[in-house]
Amino acid sequence: MSLTLELHSWTAAAYLAAATAAVTGLGMRARRLLGLGVALLALAAVLHGLAFFELHRLEPTPQLTDLPLAVSLAAWLLVLSFLALQLRLRTRGLAVLVAPAAFLGTVFAAFAAGGPAEREAGSALWSHLHVLLASGGLALLGVAGAAGVLYLIHHRAIKGKRPVGAPSALPSLENLDRANSLASALGFLLLSLGVLTGVLWVETREGRLWPGGLHANATLAVWLVYALLIAARHGAKQGARASAMGASVGFVLLLVVVVGVGVLR
Amino acid sequence: MSLLLVGMSHRTASVELRERCAQNDARPVLAKLVASPEIDEAVLLSTCNRVEIVVWTRELDAARLRLRSCFERELVGDGAPIRANELDSALYELVDGAAVRHVLRVASAIDSLVVGEPQILGQVKDAYRVAVGCGACGPILGRLYPRAFATAKRVKNETRLAERPISVARVAVDLARQIFESLEDKVALLVGAGDMIELALESLRRHGLGAVRVANRTPARAAALADRFGASAHGLDELPDLLRRSDLVLTCIGGDRPLLTAALVREALRERGHHPLLAIDIGVPRNVDPAVNQLDNVYLYDLDDLASVAESNALERQREAEQAEAIVAAEQQRFEGWLLALAAVPTIRALLARAEEIRRGELERALAGMALDPKATAAVEALSRGIVNKLLHAPLSRLREELEGEAGLAHLEAARSLFGLDEEGEAAQDDDSGEEPDLSR
Repeated sequence: MSLTLELHSWTAAAYLAAATAAVTGLGMRARRLLGLGVALLALAAVLHGLAFFELHRLEPTPQLTDLPLAVSLAAWLLVLSFLALQLRLRTRGLAVLVAPAAFLGTVFAAFAAGGPAEREAGSALWSHLHVLLASGGLALLGVAGAAGVLYLIHHRAIKGKRPVGAPSALPSLENLDRANSLASALGFLLLSLGVLTGVLWVETREGRLWPGGLHANATLAVWLVYALLIAARHGAKQGARASAMGASVGFVLLLVVVVGVGVLR
Repeated sequence: MSLLLVGMSHRTASVELRERCAQNDARPVLAKLVASPEIDEAVLLSTCNRVEIVVWTRELDAARLRLRSCFERELVGDGAPIRANELDSALYELVDGAAVRHVLRVASAIDSLVVGEPQILGQVKDAYRVAVGCGACGPILGRLYPRAFATAKRVKNETRLAERPISVARVAVDLARQIFESLEDKVALLVGAGDMIELALESLRRHGLGAVRVANRTPARAAALADRFGASAHGLDELPDLLRRSDLVLTCIGGDRPLLTAALVREALRERGHHPLLAIDIGVPRNVDPAVNQLDNVYLYDLDDLASVAESNALERQREAEQAEAIVAAEQQRFEGWLLALAAVPTIRALLARAEEIRRGELERALAGMALDPKATAAVEALSRGIVNKLLHAPLSRLREELEGEAGLAHLEAARSLFGLDEEGEAAQDDDSGEEPDLSR
């Protein structure tokens, strides 16, 4: 087995272990177990980074425009975004969604990997920038979506007056809302830059600004949805619950557009 | 030697009696106790819910009388006389295993009025520290109390006994913590000025809530309460404005109609940019319109909701307490094993001395009939010592191991009987030499 493949397998295993620890920790309200899940997630991120490093040394170097590789990159950035957010806000509980998503992303990348993608002649810079920025946007909006989903679950539990005596392993509603707000804003910025570099990539390759097609049109539609959500949140002072719903639905749409349409192509 | 505990608690004594026996400074009492010939070590625990003395004694009956008289004369103190049987019915006595178990349960907050409450461990630690400080604590209690602290730590880490609040104020604080990340920058509005509001105010302050405002129909009463807790006082006419600036609202005020209507709260929410609002209504009849809970970003809990949370938590605590009892039982067994091991020291010494005596006797007899050079004599002596050591190694190791378990005492008695140690002791007593056998050889 090549080192890259081996590292990829270890990464997937670490993500799975992190997901198991985080979900069990949350279910049992065992904070230490949840903490272990976050630690395993950090370890998996390191392994994932090493796997990318090894991949970069292969000849010919795999193209980031290859969908499985782009998904794997997005999964890695998702984990890194979550870990970075951890430093600012106490949102350990998000690991219950982030770890399984990262695991699925790496498994998808492993199973869907085909032959090497066509080399982009003369437009490699824009194509790589496009994938990097769009993946970063996807990852951050993924964190925002996860924060939104957890917010809705936690909100429902408190509103429904279910016994909430023991300090929950879930982050507070206030922190989930902050995580959603911050990740949405940064994610939207990266997504916008991703769309822009995508336009420049197409222009360099085909000499026209808009390629049309399902992927491009759907992406533009989702970008507009996010623009509305951001405006509602920061402009019209939308409430936290509506914002959480928006972030969750928006991310599902984005996932369908990026991964779903990519698979169909 | 025995461990004896005599005390009273919220289960057996009235608050008046507990108040009279409570001691701010345990040192004088402890000094008198350890000065008594029958008491070697003592620890006095005095909290608002219990007054207990634990002693390590060589004369159980004498110590029992001494502790009762201590409660009667030194702890109850001067003042109105108490009925003779009042103290008798309030005091309980626990000896050896039962006393160990009780100390472990108390430190682990299993025996507390509010099971799982965190204060008792600190109080027990203080009591132990005072006893150590004034020299009333020796090797036995010096071993028992650290074991009790370790037990409490295990109970805290391995069960969720303390995680579920069962008082209204604690439930409110825990709810607030699930909504807000920090309470320090939050503002609470308390509507009313009665006992419940006072208790809630005290609890909120204790849990670090940033600013507190008290609003009441009679502003003077609100001011009196607010002054005591460093809060600000307001009249009910300021309610719309106060609501706009508050994150947590707690109401308990008389009135036929809800004070906080859905329209009033909706307007406040709009003005505060839809920041979440936790409303706790403990008034009867209710002070907050139930329709308020339908509003986005408002979390309304009334008395029934809080009671059901507290009740469910109390049941949960009961389940957790069963796990905690298992931990206490295991730790009790460890401590008793240690005590037994301590008791085994004379037996082991006697056994070693007996073996050494036999070895020497047999060796002298054998050497007397042989003309061996010093080198050969030393070799034979080493041989005899090696045989004895090897023969005794296994039973002694096994005995030490078994002393940790339940069958430890039985093994100890069996060892004494098998090796004839008791007969030797009785023979020594029959000799009536008046001297204790030297077992230290």
